[in-house]
Amino acid sequence: MQEARVIRPEERIRDIPERVFLFRSCTGSIEYPGTESAIRETLKMLGVDAVMDPDQTCCSGYLLTCSAHKPEVSLAVTARNLAIVEKKGLDTYTFCNGCFGYISELSHILLHNQAYLDMANGVVGKLGYRFEGKTRVFHVQELWYRMKDTIAAMLVRPLNGLRVAAHNGCHYVARQYGILDDGGYPTFHEELFELLGAKPVFYKERQLCCGYAVGRGFTHKEELVQPHLYKKFKSAEQAGVELITTVCPGCNVALDREQPNINKRYGEAFNIPVIDLSQLIALCLGVPIHKLGFAANTTPLNGILERLGIGKETADG
Amino acid sequence: MGRRTKTAVVIGGGPAGIEAALRIAQAGYKALLVEKEPELGGTLKQLCSSFPRWEDPQELLDCKIQELQSCPKATIRTNTVVAAGRPNGNSYILTFSDARDGQTDEVVADAVVLATGFELMDISIYGEYGYGVYPDVVNALEFEATLKEWKLGRGKPPKGVALIKCVGSRDRSKGNPYCSKICCMYTAKQAGMVKELFPEAKVYVFYMDYRAAGKHYEEFVREVIEDRHVRYVRGRPAKILCEEGRLLVRAEDTLLGLPVEVLVDIVVLASAVVPRPATRRLAEMFGANTDEYGFIEPDRFNPVKAAARTFFAGGCGFAVETPLALQQGGAAAANVIALFNLE
Amino acid sequence: MPREKEKDLEQDLYSRIDVYKLAPNLETCLQCGKCAGVCPVANISPSYSPRIIINDILRGRADRWLESEEIWRCFWCANCYTMCPMDIPYPMLIMQMRYLAIEKGYGLKYFFPFKKFAMRAREDGLTFAPASPKAREKIAKIRQGIGLSPWPEISDKAREEYKALFDMTGVTDFLASITEDNEKPVRSTYLEGRITRARGKGN
Repeated sequence: MQEARVIRPEERIRDIPERVFLFRSCTGSIEYPGTESAIRETLKMLGVDAVMDPDQTCCSGYLLTCSAHKPEVSLAVTARNLAIVEKKGLDTYTFCNGCFGYISELSHILLHNQAYLDMANGVVGKLGYRFEGKTRVFHVQELWYRMKDTIAAMLVRPLNGLRVAAHNGCHYVARQYGILDDGGYPTFHEELFELLGAKPVFYKERQLCCGYAVGRGFTHKEELVQPHLYKKFKSAEQAGVELITTVCPGCNVALDREQPNINKRYGEAFNIPVIDLSQLIALCLGVPIHKLGFAANTTPLNGILERLGIGKETADG
Repeated sequence: MGRRTKTAVVIGGGPAGIEAALRIAQAGYKALLVEKEPELGGTLKQLCSSFPRWEDPQELLDCKIQELQSCPKATIRTNTVVAAGRPNGNSYILTFSDARDGQTDEVVADAVVLATGFELMDISIYGEYGYGVYPDVVNALEFEATLKEWKLGRGKPPKGVALIKCVGSRDRSKGNPYCSKICCMYTAKQAGMVKELFPEAKVYVFYMDYRAAGKHYEEFVREVIEDRHVRYVRGRPAKILCEEGRLLVRAEDTLLGLPVEVLVDIVVLASAVVPRPATRRLAEMFGANTDEYGFIEPDRFNPVKAAARTFFAGGCGFAVETPLALQQGGAAAANVIALFNLE
Repeated sequence: MPREKEKDLEQDLYSRIDVYKLAPNLETCLQCGKCAGVCPVANISPSYSPRIIINDILRGRADRWLESEEIWRCFWCANCYTMCPMDIPYPMLIMQMRYLAIEKGYGLKYFFPFKKFAMRAREDGLTFAPASPKAREKIAKIRQGIGLSPWPEISDKAREEYKALFDMTGVTDFLASITEDNEKPVRSTYLEGRITRARGKGN
């Protein structure tokens, strides 16, 4: 019997941290800066200090999976980035499934393969870094779930039964060494929705990949990604989903920006806004709307803000 | 020579234990059968039909229990657990506890036969199959109860049933690496039963292999496929989803190399056979070893012997079908009789 | 077309394909099909199936896949890895198949867009940062509207060291070495996807 893959949030994050290192996501900071902002605001409200570092580079996972990086550079970059965090004595919190998945996987490889660890430390050593595996890697969604009672207590804008559906993405639940919730049937996002006053919708293709974020959107868009996304949107539409949340800017790009193209190709009228779970939480906790950056979204929010009595305070982008 | 005072205690009142107690008593020694449930029968009592002859297991059970009850040297104690045991020279002193009121008493055992049987693995760990989430995803024993209901004309007739094998078996990731041996046969039986009761229902069995190694076993499975028209699809399902209020099973038909989806009302998961936790506890008590899974580890040269005065039979040693449980019960009894005869 | 001969088990599996030793347990594959059942690509185009690829590699027929377009379809979603009862890290295998393919000149068309991104990332320290000033302006506007810096804060030191890591690990040379001169055509057997709803006689 293998070790259990599902661990309780209190085991995963024993004590609520006072300071965390927030790992910058390239796609997040460029495509949906509102997500980064929402997280920083929410962490502030929850009393957690978020530290970022301009010395941190891209996690270098995405291009590894597109075969444009070799494992050596990705391992070395991971060692360097994590060494920077280790020096601060903090835990690493990512807000992108990609960053989370790649950093976890690569650091796991480093820590379980002496040859790779020596190679990586040999290379980054020349730049003055040393990776020791002291920082633990999490995704902010885990912290939200761990602090769900605090979040529920601070709710100021309840969602009034809005039909919200989760898109968990792939690289978080694909983790092999200890994730929150069950990779085969995760429900922790839906639990958070309920606490925020929304009605969670379990649509049939809930766990389907977004199909976009690992480069196939460039190489196989018409052949594979669009038919694939069509299935997902059709299922969401049939279940009456009004809003989809993601925990990965890559997934957000796929689900948000591809809808008009799918509509054109298949003659559909999919119109489901897609925002990050952190933006939804920040919204509910009363963070000013202009800080949430919804101007970056392609699929408009369809009057959801008005329905929640928030009004049009969005910054024009 | 003190033969008439020798007592063997058989722990577990399923077919293996009943058989062991029966033969020991018929040979003239005292056999004390203890069972924690209110009734004898073990897992066999829950089953509807049997392989390879489609016979009613209840008839077998009734016959065996009657034989045992008419044995003057046999004593049956239900609602009783073995709370403790300690060696005492050439025997053991066991403390029995009544499961209803906790009252205890002590008994001297000159030999012990472990027949604590097996149970099914808790498969809620397979989130992809939705056990514990969707009410109509059940394990094999729960389905036996459903079959019994259907046979009595009760319950809702299904339009489609999917049976999935190897759930928790042959799985190094979340389950057990071993093969649970009996599932291929009982799944064929269950699928065949559904078709017998509801010929219009669509019945699918999702398999990686089917293992029919026994007398008339292959013929049995072929009858289910060829005569009862159960559709066997080679491919282990990847996911069970909910669609239109029914269950959608998504798999690859590996013989075709194409994805397959079937829409059914009930999904039956042939869960891995695992030993009961009590087995390990009792093994320790009586100087027996258990393997890495918790099944009793036999003596190298005697497949039903666990320790000097401790024997075992049935599911606590590994997954067994009913005839094998009876055989092992008999073998354990023979060992006890020989031991008593020699002393 | 001549029949493919059954070759021996791939003798040089670990010296040729899994050179990084990241998929050491391929032989545990039971061909159960859980991976293909959950694979989003296999469900659309069944001529790609992780299960078949693993089997072919073990039987010494990896070359057929190296020359194919199919291996470029994998989404790297890792659902196969999640589902696999033997925990076979299939994405790691496909990643290495792709390296081998491009070194031989196959599938370059699916690689060049990312070579471009990688060369840019090497300069930026970030991936997918748009190059055009107009795009950068748009991003700056949104970021400033939220109260963030106009561009994600990344230091010059980070950029230099990122570039240095590329050079030191030989990736810069690797990217430079793959050019169109070597390009060979790939074979693709695009099977129209067909989801069968299983039926049986009397069903």
